[in-house]
Amino acid sequence: MASSPLLEPQLLRRLEALAVIVRRAVKGQMGGERRSVNRGRSPEFADFRNYTPGDDYRLIDWNAYARLDRFMLRLFVAEEELPFNLFVDLSGSMDWGRPNKAVTAKRLAGAIAYVALASLDRVRLTVFADAPTSGGAPYRGRHSAQGLFARIDSFPAGGPTDYARLVAPIARQRPGMTVLITDGLGEEPLEPAITALRLARQEGAVLQLLAPQELEPDWTGDARLKDAETGFEREFTATPATQAAYRSALALRTEEVERVARRRGLRFARLTSDQPIEDMVRRTLRQVGLLG
Amino acid sequence: MTFLAPAAAALALTLPVIVALYFLRIRRPTRIVPALHLWPDQIRDRQANVPWQKLRFSWLLLLQLLVAAFLVAAAVQPALPASASLAPHNIVLLDASASMQAKDVQPSRLEDAKRQISAMIDQLGPQDRMTLIAMQSTPRIVASGSADHDSMHRALSGVAASNGPADLSAALSLAAGVVRAGEESRGYLFSDGIVEPLHSAFANGLPFPIEYHRIGVSGENVGLTSLVVRSSAQSRAAYLRVHNFGQQARSVTVEWRSDAGLVDVRPLSLAGGQAQDLVLPVPDAAATVTARIDSKDNFALDDSVTAIARTPRAFHVLLVTPGNVFLEQALRLRTDFQVDVAAPASYRGAAAYAMTVFDRFSPPALPDAPYIVVDPPAGTPLAGGAAVGIGRVRASDAGDPLLTNVSLQDVHVAKSQDMGPSTFGRTLITSVQTPLVLVRDQPFRQVLVGFDIHDSDFPLRIGFPVLMQNLSEWMLPASVPSRSFHPDEPVTIVPENGATTVGVIRPDGSRRQLATGAIATFADTDLVGIYTVEQTVPASPGLSTRKTDRSWFAVNLFSDATSQLTPVDRLALPPARALTAGQTEHRGFLQVWPWIALLALVLVLGEWLAFHRGL
Repeated sequence: MASSPLLEPQLLRRLEALAVIVRRAVKGQMGGERRSVNRGRSPEFADFRNYTPGDDYRLIDWNAYARLDRFMLRLFVAEEELPFNLFVDLSGSMDWGRPNKAVTAKRLAGAIAYVALASLDRVRLTVFADAPTSGGAPYRGRHSAQGLFARIDSFPAGGPTDYARLVAPIARQRPGMTVLITDGLGEEPLEPAITALRLARQEGAVLQLLAPQELEPDWTGDARLKDAETGFEREFTATPATQAAYRSALALRTEEVERVARRRGLRFARLTSDQPIEDMVRRTLRQVGLLG
Repeated sequence: MTFLAPAAAALALTLPVIVALYFLRIRRPTRIVPALHLWPDQIRDRQANVPWQKLRFSWLLLLQLLVAAFLVAAAVQPALPASASLAPHNIVLLDASASMQAKDVQPSRLEDAKRQISAMIDQLGPQDRMTLIAMQSTPRIVASGSADHDSMHRALSGVAASNGPADLSAALSLAAGVVRAGEESRGYLFSDGIVEPLHSAFANGLPFPIEYHRIGVSGENVGLTSLVVRSSAQSRAAYLRVHNFGQQARSVTVEWRSDAGLVDVRPLSLAGGQAQDLVLPVPDAAATVTARIDSKDNFALDDSVTAIARTPRAFHVLLVTPGNVFLEQALRLRTDFQVDVAAPASYRGAAAYAMTVFDRFSPPALPDAPYIVVDPPAGTPLAGGAAVGIGRVRASDAGDPLLTNVSLQDVHVAKSQDMGPSTFGRTLITSVQTPLVLVRDQPFRQVLVGFDIHDSDFPLRIGFPVLMQNLSEWMLPASVPSRSFHPDEPVTIVPENGATTVGVIRPDGSRRQLATGAIATFADTDLVGIYTVEQTVPASPGLSTRKTDRSWFAVNLFSDATSQLTPVDRLALPPARALTAGQTEHRGFLQVWPWIALLALVLVLGEWLAFHRGL
């Protein structure tokens, strides 16, 4: 296994034991390890049907013909690849915190993508801030992981968040799995994007990533506050009362994101950037049923 | 309006500095936050931007400017012309006598006077000085020529009312003494006018004019003005006088106690100005008795009086004589004397006696105690020269207290030893030829008579027993007098023979130790009540074992002049001598800065409130 600057080889080895859990059958373009809604070739028997001209005669069940005196075809479950979409928020608000949320988001996306690639799923990467940017052609197979890692690592973070512009690329996706990694702190609501996931028959998850300093501000006194995305500035005096008001507003926002995600049938997990990636993947994401 | 510290106006520069601080904006550190819209739009910035910002209206700015303005106004010490006229040197006589304890003005006359003087101190200009004299039985200078207001206020607050009288004459003498020649001075007397009469020494006037400021408004008071215990063969009784000095009828309850407890309670109604005498029983075992009235009037000092009920202790007196009925009878007139008569041959010493009278006899060693030696035999230490014929006698000093009520007009002496060369002491009675009776105070009060009583017609005159009474009372005053004294009146205490310690316990429990070698004068009688005299004396004459002997005396106000309380409207004061040329008066100042400072303090509180309310 080649080494990666984004994720350590030891971690990647441990991730190979995981797989993305899909609740329903998929319809992919190429063979894979996922049960497909189509019938295909696989060791797993699915059904019988009468032979019609043009069918592959190699699939005729001769034992059935001996008993029934007519040609019956054996049908098997097709195993196809999983269309796996990763939407990673690299807006200005993600380029903040200790550890930096954008860096953590890239590593988390890489880890999840690696799990999918190891299962021969087709991984499509999209990063977004004010507009979505495709991460190039879909990645398939473990050998493409390095390309994906390099690609995801090459995106800079910055700019405002516009969740509304995610609606169109999501709608174009074939039914499959979509994982959205964001801090959910954009000024506009996240709900349109999540609704689009539902409409596009995406089984998925919303992973909200926050920095510890966001949850518990570690400063007081007078300051000039500057918005990481818009650059707007405002003078402010931090007092116990204003800190409490901020924490209350943050809690409302994160609860709103979770509530919308669960209402649309998506999995939800709240992560902090100081959590180890392996802990996020092997513990938190397994707990919410995204990986298994 | 005058400014006493105009240089402090420079502090007004703080006002533009405060405004400048509002122009300046504090430098805030920039903090990047991921979502500015989550932070509440709250700013407490009342200061300014980098480097300047537009001045915005702020209640805090307004209040801070007002506070600074008021503080500057207080610092320059503005002063208004006062109503009182002051001199460069102001001499204030504050009556601190017993009557100033009256509470007809709240909280008391003394405090009212101190309040007025305090206001006067505040009116002193920077160049004015003040001398404060507390007028009591012995006046004292509390502050001398001070221009420091704080020290004057401190000195004034330290003055307390005594229980004694106010000696105006002494206070004026003291005040005249502090005035320097040519100095412009003015006197102020703060008093209720209840003072001891002025001496004639002020006929020439005072070196400064003096104003009388009457203190007090009412003379309503019921007081106990006398308490005397009389003993008869059958019983003892106390005579108490209750006097209503006011104009209105009053009802009081007299509580009569002995040291053993409550004896009697008597209700009493007194018309305005009425006095009533009560005869009250004295229990046999009582050593002291106390009368108290619950008059709830303005003056508490005369509402309780005490008296000593115990009979004075007797003195043992030895008369050594071949026979002298005149001397013996004269000595026996003293009821507290127990007189022993001895012949010269049987004389063995006088250690057990308080006083010895040697008639025509002188022992080899005279006792270290009071004695009278009459006609000492020739060859003895006190004997005079050869006998001389005398004739008429006269007083050496007609005003000598020892000769009070003693008439020497018809007294003749046939002959006497020549006492001219004697160095015994001062002459009390003399003749043309030679001194006849000599007295001395040290080491003990002793008397030397140069002639035989029988060689004179003096024993046949009324003056003889009177002289003997005067001499014996002078030589042996009651060891501890049992009568009542006035506050601040000195008490003469004669230590017992052989006493090793003599102490006085005052009514407040404090103890004063006295010298034992000689007659002592105890002057710390400023408190009213019972004083206990404790002496350590031999258990019996000649024994080395000791016992503690206790006796008592009482101090009571017993002053009708004080208890009548009515303030004097016009007090006759000595006139001022002619003012020196160029002497001027000027108005005092009424300083208003404390009020301005108080206002500034209120504004500071308002500013604090405004800040916390987020104005």
